[in-house]
Amino acid sequence: MIGIVLKELWGRKRRLAGSLIAVFLGVTFLTGTLVLGDTLAGSIDGYFSRAYGETDVSIRNSTSVSDAPWSARGEIDASVLERVRKVNGVANAEPYIQGSGQLLAKDGTTIQSRGPRTAGNWMTDPKLNPYRLAEGRAPRAPDEVVIDKMFADKGKLKVGDRTAVLTPDRVAVTVVGISRFGDQDAFGETSFTAFSLEGARRHVTRTPGLVTGVWLRAADGVGQDELAARVRPVLAPGTEAVTGKAQVDEGMTMVEDGFLRVFRIVLGAFGGVALLVAAFSIHNTFAITTAQRTRESALLRALGAGRRQVVTLVGVEALVVGGAATLAGLAGGYGFAALLRQLFTQLKIGIAMEGLVVSATSVLIAAPVGIAVTLVAALGPALKASRVPPLAALREVAVEAGRPSDTRVIVGGVLAAVAAGTVVLGAVGEQTAMAAAGAVLTVVAMVVLGPVAARPVAALAGGPAARLRGVSGRLARDNAGRSPARTAGAATALMIGVGVVTLLTVFIGSLRANLEDGVAGSFKGAIVVDGGSNETAGFSTALAGQAARLPQIQNAAGLGNGNMRVDGKNAGVHVGDPSALRRVLDLDVRQGSLADPGAFAVSKKVADDKGWRAGSAVGVQFADGARQTLRIGAVYENADLVGDYLVPRTVWNAHTRQPLDLMAFVELRPGASAGDVRQALTALAKPYGAPEVETRDAFVSRQTEEMNGFIGVVYGMLILAIVIALLGIANTLSLSVHERTRELGLLRAVGATRPQVRSMIRWESVIVALFGTAGGLGLGLFLGWGLGTALGNPFAPQAVQVTIIAVVGTVAGALAAIRPARRAARLGILSAIASV
Amino acid sequence: MANAAQARQATNDEKRGRGGAKTVRLSKVYGTGDMAVRVLDEVSVEFPDGRFTAIMGPSGAGKSTLMHCVAGLDAATSGQVYVGDQELGALSDRALTRLRRERIGFVFQAFNLLPTLTARDNITLPMTLAGTSPDREWFDTVVRVLKLGERLTHRPSELSGGQQQRVALARALVTRPRIVFADEPTGNLDSRTGAEVLTLLREAVDDLGQTVAMVTHDPVAAARADAVVFLADGRIVDVMDAPTPDRVLDRMRGLGDHS
Repeated sequence: MIGIVLKELWGRKRRLAGSLIAVFLGVTFLTGTLVLGDTLAGSIDGYFSRAYGETDVSIRNSTSVSDAPWSARGEIDASVLERVRKVNGVANAEPYIQGSGQLLAKDGTTIQSRGPRTAGNWMTDPKLNPYRLAEGRAPRAPDEVVIDKMFADKGKLKVGDRTAVLTPDRVAVTVVGISRFGDQDAFGETSFTAFSLEGARRHVTRTPGLVTGVWLRAADGVGQDELAARVRPVLAPGTEAVTGKAQVDEGMTMVEDGFLRVFRIVLGAFGGVALLVAAFSIHNTFAITTAQRTRESALLRALGAGRRQVVTLVGVEALVVGGAATLAGLAGGYGFAALLRQLFTQLKIGIAMEGLVVSATSVLIAAPVGIAVTLVAALGPALKASRVPPLAALREVAVEAGRPSDTRVIVGGVLAAVAAGTVVLGAVGEQTAMAAAGAVLTVVAMVVLGPVAARPVAALAGGPAARLRGVSGRLARDNAGRSPARTAGAATALMIGVGVVTLLTVFIGSLRANLEDGVAGSFKGAIVVDGGSNETAGFSTALAGQAARLPQIQNAAGLGNGNMRVDGKNAGVHVGDPSALRRVLDLDVRQGSLADPGAFAVSKKVADDKGWRAGSAVGVQFADGARQTLRIGAVYENADLVGDYLVPRTVWNAHTRQPLDLMAFVELRPGASAGDVRQALTALAKPYGAPEVETRDAFVSRQTEEMNGFIGVVYGMLILAIVIALLGIANTLSLSVHERTRELGLLRAVGATRPQVRSMIRWESVIVALFGTAGGLGLGLFLGWGLGTALGNPFAPQAVQVTIIAVVGTVAGALAAIRPARRAARLGILSAIASV
Repeated sequence: MANAAQARQATNDEKRGRGGAKTVRLSKVYGTGDMAVRVLDEVSVEFPDGRFTAIMGPSGAGKSTLMHCVAGLDAATSGQVYVGDQELGALSDRALTRLRRERIGFVFQAFNLLPTLTARDNITLPMTLAGTSPDREWFDTVVRVLKLGERLTHRPSELSGGQQQRVALARALVTRPRIVFADEPTGNLDSRTGAEVLTLLREAVDDLGQTVAMVTHDPVAAARADAVVFLADGRIVDVMDAPTPDRVLDRMRGLGDHS
C-alpha cells in the first residue's frame, strides 16, 4: 500500500509540488510567528535576569500601583539601610534610587526613546550594579553622571560634555562616564542617567531620608530565601523583601501578561490568517489532484480495491505530503522568523532580539497543526473520489463537477440570511458578542455559498474581459465558470485574506474616527505643548503656569498622568488642575462641577459601571502606600483626553517628588496670532527639554498616530495573505492547465497564437482574483460596519486603503497567472494532442 | 448545389492560388546519436488539389508524423513541406499559427471540440481567433451540408460522437482551407456513424472541391479515398489509385499489419 502511494507521489511531481507548497507556506508562517514570539520572550527574559545584577534580595515599597513591568514603586524610608546592614548574612547593602530623568542631547532637546527615561544612583558595588562602565569613571560630585551608551550615541554626548537632566527641574550635569548593560548599549530602550548617591538624593528623590529601595548581597552560604527571611523582621510596615529570583519572575510574568501577550496575539493572528488561507489552498489542491486521478482510483477499484483502501491511499498521501511539508515548513519558519526579527528590529520595538529561540511548545503546536490541516483538507476530496462508481470514472468523460447541489444552495442561503441578520441585529442593538458570532457565521456561509456564486460571478466579472479581449476573454470567462467548486476554492483563500484585512482596516478607521472626534471635540484651544506619548516623558508643571502668564494667552492648563490604586484596582489616571482644565477642555460634565481645583472627577463610563455619582466616596492608594478617600466632584462624558480618572494636582503632588505634565493646552486671547504664540511658547519651553509646540490639528492627528503602526501590521497581513492566496490561485491554474492540456493543444492546432493562450489563462486568473477580492471587500466592509457599530464607533471606511486592497488583490490575480500562462502557451501542440 | 460550389471554388482559387500540399525528401528524426529514431526517411508525397488522399501503414510507420509535419504541427528535420505554394520550413511560430488558422483544417480522432463552447462557436473558432467573421453564406452551406442546423446552440457534451465529428468537420471546412487533415476521424465511432462521416468527407471533396488527407487504419475507410499512400518504416512503399477495401487489405497484409 505505502509502496503504491510513494510511487504515485513520485510519478506526479507537479501535483506533489502543488500540495507541498501549500502546506509548506502555512506551516512556515505559523512557525515563524511562534518562533518570533519565543525569541522576543527569550530576549526579554535575558534582560530581566540581568536587571538586578547579582542582587540576592531587594527591599521595596509593598504597594504596587501598576501592572507595567519596569515601573518603579513609591519611595521608602532610608533608615532601613542601617538596620539591614547589621543583619547576619548580609554581605553588602546599598540604597537604590530610581525616578524620572530625561537626558538632554547636546542640542538641548530631550533624547526621544520609547523606553522609560530614568535617573538614579550609580551603585558602587559592581555585583549589585547591572551596568558596567565602558568609558570614563563613576560619578563623584553631585553634578556628575554616567549615561548609557545608546543615549550617549543618540544625544551625541561624550565623556567630559556638559548637558542637563530634567528631573523634571533642569539639572546641569557633566558626563563623566558611559555605561553598558551587559553586552547591550542600554536596557532595551531605557535611558538611565546615574548620579552619585548624593546627586540622586538631591535631584531625584529630593527629600532627605527617602530611597526607592535597598539592594542586598548575601554572604557566602546564605541563600536568597534565607536572606529575605532574615531581613524581614527589621523592615518597616509597608515595605517588603523579595528575592532577586522572585523579582525577575515577577517582571517576566508582567511582560508575559501584558506586552508579550498582545505581541503574541498579533503574531498569532498573522499565523492564523496565513494558515486559514493556506488551508483553502491545500484543500483546493487536493480536490483537483484527486479529481484528476479519479480514473486511477476507479481502475484500482475495478481491480478490486475497496473504497476504504482508496480513501486510505489519499489519506496516506496527505500524511506523507503533510509530514514532509511540515518538516520543511518548520525549517522555513525558522528562516521566516529571522526575517520578521529583522523587520521588527527596523520598527524599533525597543528590544534588541539576539539569536532565535525555538521553544518545544512552538514545535508542538506547528507540527501537528500542519499535518492535521493537510489531512482534514485532503479527506473531503478523498471521500468524494471513493464514491465515484468504477465504471463511470473509466469512461472517457472530462472529470468536472457539475452545478452545485440544491442542498448547498438551501443550506448556504439560510445560513447567510441568519448570519447577516445576526450581524445587523448585533450592530443595531450594540451587542458586540452577537455581532461577533454573526461575523463567524457569515464567513462560514461565504465558504458554503462560494461554489453557488462562482458561476454567476465569473460570468459577471468575465463580462468586460469577454467584450474587451475577444475570444481569449470569452474562453477565460467560460473556463472560470465551468468548475464552480474549484473557482470558489481558489477565490475563497483570497476572499478570507482580503476580508480579514478589510475588516481590520475598517475597524481601525472607526476607532480612529471615534478618537479623533473625541479629541477634537474635547479640545477647543489653538495650541498644545506636547511632551509625546511616552509615559515617563513630560515636562515640569511649572511650564503651564508660565505659559498662562504670557500676555497673548487667555488660558493654559497642564495635564500629566500616573498610576494609583482606585477602589482596590490598579488604574492609570490623569493629573491636573480641574478648574484650569475646564477652561481649555470641553469634558461635557454631567454631574457636579470642575470649578474646585481639588475636585476628583471620573468618566461617566466608570461611574455607571461602579454605580458612583457626584459626592460618592472612593478609596484610593498612592504609590508611596498612602491611602486616602476622595469624594467625586464631577462626572464627565468626554474621556478621550483625560481618561477615566482625573486626579487633582493638589492631591497628587503630596505623593510624588517629581510632578510632570505630559501636555499643556493653550487657549489664545482674542486677536492674538497663533504663529506669534507658538514662537513665544517654543522659546519658553526650550529650557524644559523643548517639548513640541503643536497646532490643534497636528495634535489631533498625533493622537491617532499610534494606530498607524497598527495599520502597518495590517498591511503586513495583507501582503502575507495575498502571497499565499496568490500561490493558491497559481497552483489551481497550473493544475487546470495540466488538466486541459488537450484543449490547449486543440486551440493551438486550430490557430490560437501563444499570446492568445496566455491571455486566456491570465484573464481566468484575474476573474478568480476579482471574485475573491470583491467578495473579501464586501465581507470586510459588512463585518467592519457590524462590529464597529456594535462597539459604538462611527462607520468610517478609508477609501484610499480600501482602494489599495482592491487593486492589490486584482493585480495579484494577474501575477498569479504568469507561470501557468507561460506554461500553457509553451505546451507542445503535438504532445497535447498525443495525450488523447 | 455542386455547380454553386464549383463556382465558389473557382473564385476561391483566384483569390488564394492552388490548393493541395506536398513534401520533398521530408525526413524526421527524433532524438540524437545512438538514441536517434528516423521516423520519416526522405518522404516525397503529394496531396493533389481537390482530391481525397488516405495515408495507411502499420503502427509506427510514421503516418501521424507525416501528417503533423505537413500540417505545420511539427518541424521537419530535413526536406521541404509545401501547403499550396507556401514552404513551411522558414515560418515562425506566429506564421505557422496563422497558416493553420487560415489554410489548414483539422479533424482529430477525439477531443475535437472545446467543451465550454457551443457547436456554432466551435465551428467559427478559427475565425474568432483570427478576429475575422465567417462568410455567412459559406457557413450556412457547410452547416446545411453537414446537417448541423439544429445543433448549433448545443455544447459538445450534448452531442453524440458522430455529431461531434460533424461539428469538427464543419470547423475544418468553414475557413475554406487548402487542405483538411483528418487523423483517424472514424476511430472512435461505430461503423454506421463512421461511414456517415466518411461520406461527408467524400462530399466535401466532390461537391465543395476540398482537398483532404486522412490517416486511417481501416481499409474500408481508405477505400473511400481517391488514392491511398502506403507508409512503412518511414518510407512511401506504394501509392494506390482507385482503391477498394480488398485491394487495400491485401496490400496491408503485405506490409505485415493485421489490424
